[in-house]
Amino acid sequence: MSIPTAAAPDLTAQDDQSGPPTPERGESLPARVIRALLTQRIVLLAVLLVLVVVYFMVLGATGYLTAAYDFDYLSAALINAVPLAMLGFAELFVILSGRGGIDLSVGAIVSLAGMIFGFAYGRWGWPLWLAIVITALVGAVLGLVNGLLVAYIGFPALIATLATYYAYKSLAVVINNQRPISTKPIQNLYESTARSVELPLIGSWIPNVPKGIFLFLLPTLVVVWLLLARTTYGRRVYAIGTNDIAAQWSAIGVRATRAGAYALSGLISGLVAVVTVGQFASARPDAGVSGNGMALPAITIAVLGGVAITGGIGRVSGIVLATVLIVWMNAGIRLAFEGNAGPQYQLLALGLLLVFAALLNGFALRRYGGVG
Amino acid sequence: MSIDVVARDETPASGSQPPAKRHRVLAPPVTGQEIVLICVIAVLWVILGFATPAFVSAGSIQPLLGAVAPIALIGIGMTVVIITGGIDVSVGAAIAVCSVITAKLVLVQAGLSLPVAVLISVVVGGLLGLLNGVLIAYGRVHAIIITFGTANIFLWLSLKLFNSTTVNNIPDTLAPLGNGAAGRTLGVPNSFLITVVLVAIAWIYLRHTAGGRHFYAIGGDQLAAELAGVKVRQRVLTAYLLTGLLVGLASCIVVAQGSNLGQNVGSGKELAVIAAVVIGGTSITGGRGSVLGTVLGALLVQTVASGVTQLGWRSELSDLFVGVAIIIAVGADLIRERARRKR
Repeated sequence: MSIPTAAAPDLTAQDDQSGPPTPERGESLPARVIRALLTQRIVLLAVLLVLVVVYFMVLGATGYLTAAYDFDYLSAALINAVPLAMLGFAELFVILSGRGGIDLSVGAIVSLAGMIFGFAYGRWGWPLWLAIVITALVGAVLGLVNGLLVAYIGFPALIATLATYYAYKSLAVVINNQRPISTKPIQNLYESTARSVELPLIGSWIPNVPKGIFLFLLPTLVVVWLLLARTTYGRRVYAIGTNDIAAQWSAIGVRATRAGAYALSGLISGLVAVVTVGQFASARPDAGVSGNGMALPAITIAVLGGVAITGGIGRVSGIVLATVLIVWMNAGIRLAFEGNAGPQYQLLALGLLLVFAALLNGFALRRYGGVG
Repeated sequence: MSIDVVARDETPASGSQPPAKRHRVLAPPVTGQEIVLICVIAVLWVILGFATPAFVSAGSIQPLLGAVAPIALIGIGMTVVIITGGIDVSVGAAIAVCSVITAKLVLVQAGLSLPVAVLISVVVGGLLGLLNGVLIAYGRVHAIIITFGTANIFLWLSLKLFNSTTVNNIPDTLAPLGNGAAGRTLGVPNSFLITVVLVAIAWIYLRHTAGGRHFYAIGGDQLAAELAGVKVRQRVLTAYLLTGLLVGLASCIVVAQGSNLGQNVGSGKELAVIAAVVIGGTSITGGRGSVLGTVLGALLVQTVASGVTQLGWRSELSDLFVGVAIIIAVGADLIRERARRKR
């Protein structure tokens, strides 16, 4: 679904191998800085992040903001990064796997898996660990449905996940007659997931950090990174995303690998469901699809983090930096505008960032032959 | 995306030599997918007619056609966009912008007349579409990313215009487009008649003019089209512009159908339109599709939604059926495509 021809990137890539613009040694310092900014997405994101934080801190110091934009506030805002970054990882797997990979259903999976968690933990009184495992498994199965449709039957990812988005969203609402589940155990979850805590040993020197970061985000981050960068499966995902015919000829199980990417996306969405239930202290049937839904921001994070929508290119570090950038930017905007204007300007900022990042990607592709 | 290198049936007409029997240049006027859709819709109507006789009354079918109209109208543009291999997920937010401008500024505050209101809405929609088109055609960026971005920007614009309140007491200037008695000709909603006329024009244009075939050529193989002299960028720009203009028109219908306008207007409509287009047999990878299928797709979705409510089921269940309908429609198309390749 691309306007830039699929052939265009290939052409530039070939030029790059044969032609002169290989990393020149004689490049001047400014040229090198610009090259790093444009081709190394994490460099650009890091610079933007520093700019955003400094800008809002200056605004805060001059008394323009409605509250202090300090490290405590930034740390507390990180709770919003947990679902966002995790769903960013979910999209990372799917988009990396190539052939127009995208997952519109993550928000609907969050809703449906969250309701299952609500039933298991809040109604049937299952032990917490078992409820979490079941929820993650339900998510994985829902994701696997996408994977089977896309990898084995050959549905375009956009269509398959659009269809399951509708189906899961509807099931999540119908399963408990549109009512949320917020029994006592569910309400108590807020304490154990969203509350900020002081870290042991070094805690007195740094601000308190939301528990969800340690309980969910960091473990997921480590596992995802290990999986993508240090296992055969991860290399296979990059391989099929880069060129799935070549991957097929190298005896990689393209279909199983691709289906696995969708199942992993579902699994992560299932974990996000637990986080979301804890954060709201209630299992809401529309948790992942209300308003703009969760899929859009997740895809935005992935693209902003430098994941190429054509597949095969993308890193965990990009997703993390992009998430932190968005979360801290939103936190600043919330303080800079009063009432409803805040969330509205968050939309504007997100949209502008996305368009800007996409245009920059296109430019970097033509100028340097790729973004890393 | 470009893995699929098998030649499609619909290469642009080469003109001089008559098409060979086995390789027709044009798809048949009514494709297999469309025949299946017509049958499914017919069967559904008969079943629903027996289950709840009220379903086949004028009081039920008129609002159904009225609800199909905006989706099908935008669907025309979306079909063209998807045929070129693109997509536009910003239409929902664009509806919000156009309808709040029309309802709040044009009708409630300025009290202008119907033609002016429609004109302003269409122009605003056109501008939004133009923005998408320029960014996509000349920025050479993936359509889905750009339109996700512009969707956020449009949404911000609409919320800013709404200013945190719903628009109430909209005058009935637009009644001829609405659901009331003034909005019907011979019992058929005017909004649906307009849709039918525009669909017919688009169908002939896409099928029988060189300009129309260019869209298919771009979706089939953009590089080949460029080499064959198709002005790819202009065409792509036109597709998004057209979608924007139609969003403007559809927004007038949306405004006309109620006396107040909530801030969530348009939310989720982009997916409804895309669902209608793909159920109608347009290939999401580009190069194949028809606006007739899109109308049938929209009709099917609305029939399901209306049927579910009238059977007394939970209205949210209709989304489940929409999801299943997409899987079946596209799945059937995939199987037929595979059979075609084997031959």
